[in-house]
This record gives sequence, C-alpha cells and structure tokens, in this order.
Amino acid sequence: MNNKLTGSVVVIGGGISGMLSALDLANSGYYVYLVEKGPSIGGVMAQLDKTFPTNDCAM
Amino acid sequence: MNDNTIKIVSFLCNWCSYGAADLAGVSRMEYPADIRVIRIPCSGRMSPKFILSAFREGADAVWVSG
Amino acid sequence: MDVNLCVGCGACAEKCPGKFDDGYNANLKQRTAIYVEYPQAVPLKYAINPKVCLKLTKDKCGLCEEICPAKAIDYTQKEERITLDAGSIIFSPGFKPFDPSRFDNYQYTNFANVVTSMEFERILSATGPTMGHVVTFPKLPLNPKKKQDKLLVEKRKDPKKIAWFQCVGSRDINKCDNAYCSSVCCMYAVKEAMIAKEHAGGDLDCSIFFMDMRTPGKEFEKYYENAKEKHGIKFIRSRVHSVTEDAETHDLNIRYVDEKGGIIDDTFDMIVLSVGLEISKETRELAGKLGIELTPSGFCKTSSFEPVTSSRDGIYVSGVFNSPKDIPESVLDANAAASAAGDALSAARNTLTKAVEKIPEINVVGDRPKIGVFICDCGSNIKGVVDCAGVTEYARSLPYVEFADEAMYACSQDAQNKMVEYIKEKNLNRIVVAACTPKTHEPLFQETLTNAGLNKYLFEMTNIRNHNSWVHKNNPDIATQKAKDLVRMAVAKAALSEPLKEEKINVNDTVMVIGGGLAGMTAAKSLASQGYKTHLIEKKDKLGGEAHKLYKTAQGEDVQTHLDQLIREIETNENITVHCNTTLEAVDGFVGNFKSTLKTKDTAFELDYGIAVLATGAKALVPVEYEYGKDPRIITSLDLDKRFKEKDAGLAKLNSAVFIQCVGSRQPDRPYCSRVCCTHSVDNAIELKKRNPEMDVFILYRDIRTYGERELLYKKARELGVIFIRYDREHKPEVKLLNGKVLIALNDHVLNQPVEIEADLLTLATAIIPRRDERLANFFKVPLNDEGFFVEKHAKLGPAEFATSGVFVCGSGHYPKPVNEAITQGRAAASRALTLLAKKDNLFTSGTIASVDVMKCSQCGVCVAICPYSAPRFATEGRFAGKAEINAVLCKGCGLCVASCRSGAIHLRGFDTNQIFSQIFALGEVV
Repeated sequence: MNNKLTGSVVVIGGGISGMLSALDLANSGYYVYLVEKGPSIGGVMAQLDKTFPTNDCAM
Repeated sequence: MNDNTIKIVSFLCNWCSYGAADLAGVSRMEYPADIRVIRIPCSGRMSPKFILSAFREGADAVWVSG
Repeated sequence: MDVNLCVGCGACAEKCPGKFDDGYNANLKQRTAIYVEYPQAVPLKYAINPKVCLKLTKDKCGLCEEICPAKAIDYTQKEERITLDAGSIIFSPGFKPFDPSRFDNYQYTNFANVVTSMEFERILSATGPTMGHVVTFPKLPLNPKKKQDKLLVEKRKDPKKIAWFQCVGSRDINKCDNAYCSSVCCMYAVKEAMIAKEHAGGDLDCSIFFMDMRTPGKEFEKYYENAKEKHGIKFIRSRVHSVTEDAETHDLNIRYVDEKGGIIDDTFDMIVLSVGLEISKETRELAGKLGIELTPSGFCKTSSFEPVTSSRDGIYVSGVFNSPKDIPESVLDANAAASAAGDALSAARNTLTKAVEKIPEINVVGDRPKIGVFICDCGSNIKGVVDCAGVTEYARSLPYVEFADEAMYACSQDAQNKMVEYIKEKNLNRIVVAACTPKTHEPLFQETLTNAGLNKYLFEMTNIRNHNSWVHKNNPDIATQKAKDLVRMAVAKAALSEPLKEEKINVNDTVMVIGGGLAGMTAAKSLASQGYKTHLIEKKDKLGGEAHKLYKTAQGEDVQTHLDQLIREIETNENITVHCNTTLEAVDGFVGNFKSTLKTKDTAFELDYGIAVLATGAKALVPVEYEYGKDPRIITSLDLDKRFKEKDAGLAKLNSAVFIQCVGSRQPDRPYCSRVCCTHSVDNAIELKKRNPEMDVFILYRDIRTYGERELLYKKARELGVIFIRYDREHKPEVKLLNGKVLIALNDHVLNQPVEIEADLLTLATAIIPRRDERLANFFKVPLNDEGFFVEKHAKLGPAEFATSGVFVCGSGHYPKPVNEAITQGRAAASRALTLLAKKDNLFTSGTIASVDVMKCSQCGVCVAICPYSAPRFATEGRFAGKAEINAVLCKGCGLCVASCRSGAIHLRGFDTNQIFSQIFALGEVV
C-alpha cells in the first residue's frame, strides 16, 4: 500500500496560511504545488497596514 | 566631527537595546538625532578601548546599553 | 504574459490605457489593465486583466507588446488545464470581507465618508491611495478630472472625528445571515483607531461603537486597555441605528442609545464599518466540488480533536475557511495542516523532493574591497524624511564604494534581482544596505548575496528607518546627515568584512516532549508517526493533563472518550516512550544535541535528544473571592464539569443557577482574558437548561467573548432563556451567605437598578493561570512574559516555537486555549520541529562566532571561565594542546571572551575589533 502513496501535496490558496503550510511541507521533505488564483501570493495580510497588538508591519 | 552638534556614540546589544531602538521607531517616538548607533552582538563584547577611542574621535558622550 | 520572460520592470503599465478597480487598495483607486498586485508582490510578474485590456476586448492598442523590453507579452495565451498528482490537499482559500452595500441604514454606497475597515486599512498604509494620510472622500482620486468630483474634493479635510461601527456583517441575522462572530474586528478596529491617531496627531477623536469588546488573544487585553486609558480612544457600548449625511458639508450624523438609555446625537467626519469575514460563494462551490462538509455559516466542518482535517479523507483545511481567526491562529492552522497532511504521507516522505542547486561561492579573499551600497526609500517611510538621492550620491564618494543605487523597496523581489545583477556586472565583493532593521531583513539580503555567489557575511546593514527617519521625522536635514553618517560607518565596517564559514551541526533526531496533556500528546503522536523516537515526559502519574477535568468541547463532543483513545494510541505507539511521574532535573547542550537528567520517583536517568517541545500547560485559578470555599453551592467551572461527567442527578433539581465570569481575569494583577471561560459557562448554562428548562440561569459577565462560531452557543443560550447581566470591573457582583442562602447582588445594566439573585448553584468562571515554570524556562533559555506564559519566537509568524533554536511550544503554557486550539498548536509545534529534524544532515552554525589565534593565546583561562555557554575550553591534544579552542556549535557569538581576553587572541567574526574601531573612526571623520 505504501508504494501507492505520493509524496506531494497540493496547497490551494496563497494567503498567509497556505504559504506557511507549503513552506513547512517543503522543508519537511514533501514536494508542494502552491495554487493561487491571483497573480501573486500574500493574500489579505499583504493588504494590512500594521498588525495587532505589536503594530508590526504586516508586509 | 562637526563642532556645533553633540554626538553620542552608542553601543547597543543586538538582542535588547538595539531591538528597543527599533521599537522606538515602530512606536514613532521622537528623540534628538545626536546619537549614532554601533550594533554589537552583546554588551559583553564591549571593550574599554572602544569607549576611549570614541572619546578620542570627538564623541561628547558614550552610551553602552545591553 | 510569459512569466518566465517578464522582468517586472513596469514599462508596460506606464503606457497601458485600460483601467479597472485596484482590489489590493480595496478599490479605492484604479489600476492599469496590465498590472502587478503590489510593489512587493511575489512573484513580481505583470498580469493582464482580459476583461479590460483593449487588445483582448477590442483588438485595439497593443502598446504593451511594443514597449516590453523582455518580449514577455503574449496575447494568444489560453486557459490551460493542468493535472497534478498529489498525496494530500490542503485547502486554505481564505475569506472575503463582508460587503455592507446591502445595509441601507449605513448608506455605504451613497455616503463618500462611510468606508469599510478594509478600505481604511489601505488609507492608513503608506503605499495606499492617500499615502497614509487620513482624509475624507478617500474614494475620490487625489486630483479628480470630473467636475462633480472636483467640487467634492474641495470639501476634503483631515477628519477630526472618526467612528468605528463593530459587528457589520457579524453577529447579525436580521440584515444578513452571519450569526457568527468574525473574531478579528474588535482588534483591528482598536488598531486602526490607534494608528489613525498616530498619523493624524493626538487630537483626532476616535470612537468605537461595539456590543462586546472581544480581545481574548495573547497580549490583546493590554492593548485594548492602553487604547482606552493611554490613547484616549472612546469605547461606546451601543449599536448605532442609522447614519444621515449633511448635504452641504458631507458630515455624518448618527443617533444612538447610550448605556443609560439616553438618546444621543453626534456628528463624525468619517465612519468606518468594521466588516466581518465571510466565506465566498465561490469558495463554498469549490468546497462542494471537493466534497467537504461545511457548517451552516459556510466554514469547514472539523472535529475539535482533528481541527484541520476535513470530512473528506486526504483533504486538510486551514485559515479562516476553518473558522474566523486572526493571523497567529492562521499560522498555527497552517503548520498544523502541514503536519496532518504530512503524517498521512510519511511513508512517501523525501521521494519527490529535489535538492537545491548550490551556487558556487566566489573567492574574494585578498581582493580589494569593491562595495555596493543600496539605499532603500521604504516607500515613503524613509524617503519621506531623508533625502535618499542625496545619501546615494554621498555613498558613491566613500572609499572602496564601487557602486550605489536607490531602491523604492530594497526588499522587493525586483530590487533583489537587480542587486544580484549589479553584483555580477560590477564584480562587487561587499554589500551595504541602508534600510530598516537587520533584525528582520538581514537574512533576506544575505540570501541575495548567496544567490549572487557571494559569502553571506560580506554584508552589512544599517538602519536608517527605525533609528532615523521614523524617530527624527520633524528634522529632515539632520536625519539626512545622520543617514550619511550611518552609511559611512557601515561602509567602513563592510570593507573589513571577510567571508565566514558555517560549521555543520550533528542532529540527534530523538525528541523530548515535556507535558503529557492534549497538546503534548498531539505533538508526540505526530512526530512519532513521522518515524522519530519521542520521549513524553509527564510529572503526574497519568497522561491527559487538565483535559481529564473537562466534560464537553464547544462543539458538544465528549472529551473523555477522545482523551482515552488518544492516551491508548500514545501508549501503544512503538516510537513513543512515556515517562510518567517524571521531572526534568537538568538540561545541557543545544539544538540537535541536548542532554537531560530526569528523575522518576527516586531514580535519575539521562536522556540525549535533539529537539524539545514544551507543553507544560496551565491550570485553573483557585478563587479567593465571592465566598468560594465557604459553601458547597459555590463551585468553579471545572467542579461543574465534574458533576456533569458524574451525571449528578441533583443538577436537574436546581431552581436557580448563576455564573460569574472573569473571576481573576481582566483585572490589574492579571490583565489578560482567559479566553475559554465565556464559552465554557455559556455551554454549561445550556447543559443546565437541557436538564431543567424551568431553571433560572444567569450569567454575570463583563463582555461575552464567544468568538467565531461559538457565538451560536451564546445565541442558543439566550433562546433557551439564559439571562445575561453585565457588570463592570469597578462594580463587581457581591456574594453573601445569609440565612442559609447564597445571595448575589449587582446592578442590572438594562434596568439600571440593583438586583438580588438567590442561587442554588453559583459557578465561578475562574482564570486560567500559567505554571510560571522559571526553572524550565532557564533550562532552555526561553522567556516568560509578565504573567508567566512562555513568550514565543514571533507573536504573528512564530507562535509554536521559541527564539532558542530547537525548542518549541504548544498548549496553554503559551496562552489559555480550548481543546481544538491546543491540539492545533500541538500539531503546529510538531510541524515546525519536523522541518528541523528533516535538515538532519544539513544544519549549520552561525558564522559570526569567536575563534582563537593560538599564537597569541597565553592559556590564562579567562575565556573558559567567563563563557556562559561553555564554548571555550583548553585543547587536550594536538600541536596546540593547552591553548584555548572554541566549540563552534556552543558559541553564541556574544563576544564576552573577546572583550575579556587579555592577550587579544580571540576574534569575533563579523564583529571583530578592527571592524568596530572602523565604525568609531568613521564617525570621527569630518563630513
């Protein structure tokens, strides 16, 4: 059965969550396809000015 | 060094005071621009020679923080 | 567009005549038909919107094809279908902000100065349509062309009063179908108000109209208190009915009922609608195609015990699609989903990955320094204050500087690519970047150097933003002078930098998890399933921790059944060794090479491991108020759970039950919200009502914080007749034991009258308090915050790990959290640990460490004695036996030994004595 397993993962959505899932998996030994419908990744977080509660730049 | 202005040479620890100076910026605090920061990995890196040298180069004050 | 050819130069967009709404800027301005999402976009490749491109719609124009220097434009591209072969899917489609157009009472579409929070976010941003300047009429262009718009823009002003309306599109089933709480709006409204005040100056009047202020996250309550007390932001507990507009001034008039029942009229320059998070129709349809079940609100249905696993085998979910949540929780979801998806495929790990191509390093030793200097504008953050062009020009005049350039965002992908090109073209061998802080951006630039074939330590960064433009914004001339000084110092230091070598670290791939609660067991189980030997340390006599005391989850699942099953799985997993009744006595070593002494009863033993996960949990406060302990009818939330678990028949016979919230939480000595207690009490109130619908059940609260879909429980409780009475911190309820009765007196917020309730059962929703394990924190050199919770690496982006390499955190020791969140964090910690374990043969030390010049070493031993990390020792063999030598893995690069060496024999690479002197000398030079 193990022979049938495919060592790759499709991540749908290139927001903060999708990006970090993709990074963790890629760094753990899986091949990752990151799928995003827009022309760039980053999602809503890239639109935010600062983040709560540290006021760090979201970008 | 320009004679008209005060210059403070500050040696800031990367892990605390340097980060605090970053945070002062993030918090948009304001302070006089007389300070010039030298980032050091830890205040343990500080040697008295650095302080003496800074004074010799015309610093009005030396601030070591860590 | 051919993305392989596009260089992101932007020449196409300069000429493109097509226009459409710029979604990145919340449609507040227009963008060209050929566009990039935003300047820092990854990948930085232009795209064409086929709906507005003149060439694609009308076969006219074609300008971009003519202009493009890279010949990347291809109008003939067609939609392609690609088939991917994958073992798991992670679905994280995110949300869309609620569209308030349908609310006629707020007139979002008709009034120019009613904006959404997403629009306001862009208004605050330096890269936004108003460049961070808060102004009215934000939807109009800065220089409008239409006559009608021109007239309006003349009325544009800097607002003096701004109001935020909370819960627009959340907690509302009258005007929309979103019964849930969006979980993030309270926080972002407070943040937006604070930043708006900062941008506009102190006299900006900010009011937030809310129902319950929900700031239940780590450090959130303090931020809220600060906003109120220190920054003067007004919080008004009221839902505003409607907004009208003054036809002449376009000021906005509102009418609302205050807490005392009085009708108040007020006028604002601007109103921000705090819109909720929604799952789009498109996402719901895609979920349908994937065959995964959703909740009625449209979020993914998951179990509290497998919080990132969808109803369909092999599909995992994360982010807001899973439930409304903020950034750190989305990050935890992301890590956890990676862990869940990976665990299912562990047998196929490393079968499809490819090795990264190593770019050969150019040997620059002995070469004359050729320094490249890059000055970052950081949008307007630096350029708005500092004359960046002048600084760049100045940099060109400095010794050894071969090249200097200015960049709008030095960290953007295109600027990085350019940097690589310049390095190659001009044969640069040292790089200086004057931008923001090296603490966040140094690794990024170092990677760019690596990509260009330069050793990453031939890099120097100086901070002309945080330490300069941001703090001297009213003195542009002095700030420019300071920027020049800082660049000169950095150039002097960079000229002396040398390529450094990183030493390989051997990783012991055994894991130690401390704490056998839900979070710790989850982390251990995941790592064991990936094939790593895991030791689970528990100080009590059995696994399970605090979860043993819980009755049901917020979703109504029985905790004990699942807990027993998990414990069985752990105990039978051959990769996991459970050590109960065991305590940690000592920790030695560092990432990949820890060594501990543990003690089980009276027997001590040693354990070698490479990774540690701290999952030590938290506990319930034992209350000292409300007459607790003086009457058996006064109990805590966990006591009540115990009675539910034991099927106590007496509960159905009660006539009156009262819950008091925030017992020990959100008060000056414990200024945080314990996060779980509101849901817990609401849930238990429902359980009581189920047993006896006639029972009078009261919940005395300060704010009900049933975030996310927990709000549905709050709604259900109200429908069942549970009575909610609010009190404030200054007027707590008073509990009296009188004539054999338990009496609770407080002021009713609706009637504004004192009331007295007789309770057959009084449940105190006690604070969750940390274990404040300073010994453990010292063992691993990890920090605790003021309250005693562990401080993670990064509040947003590193919530399951510590700054100390190789040490991870999960569970309530980090912050109080319910079952599903503890499990998510357990998985997240495992996922982060796995990325380290996977590097087993690829882990290296830092290059900025100390080294000994043996010819100068006088063997005095000061360094050996002084180092807090035991890195220096006397060599015991070889030519230099007796001289000091430094263990590269243990050395943290602090430089203590360098400063204390009386022979000047120790050098600190990257911060060597001559480099620091060079900075001091550079300061002394007359400009």
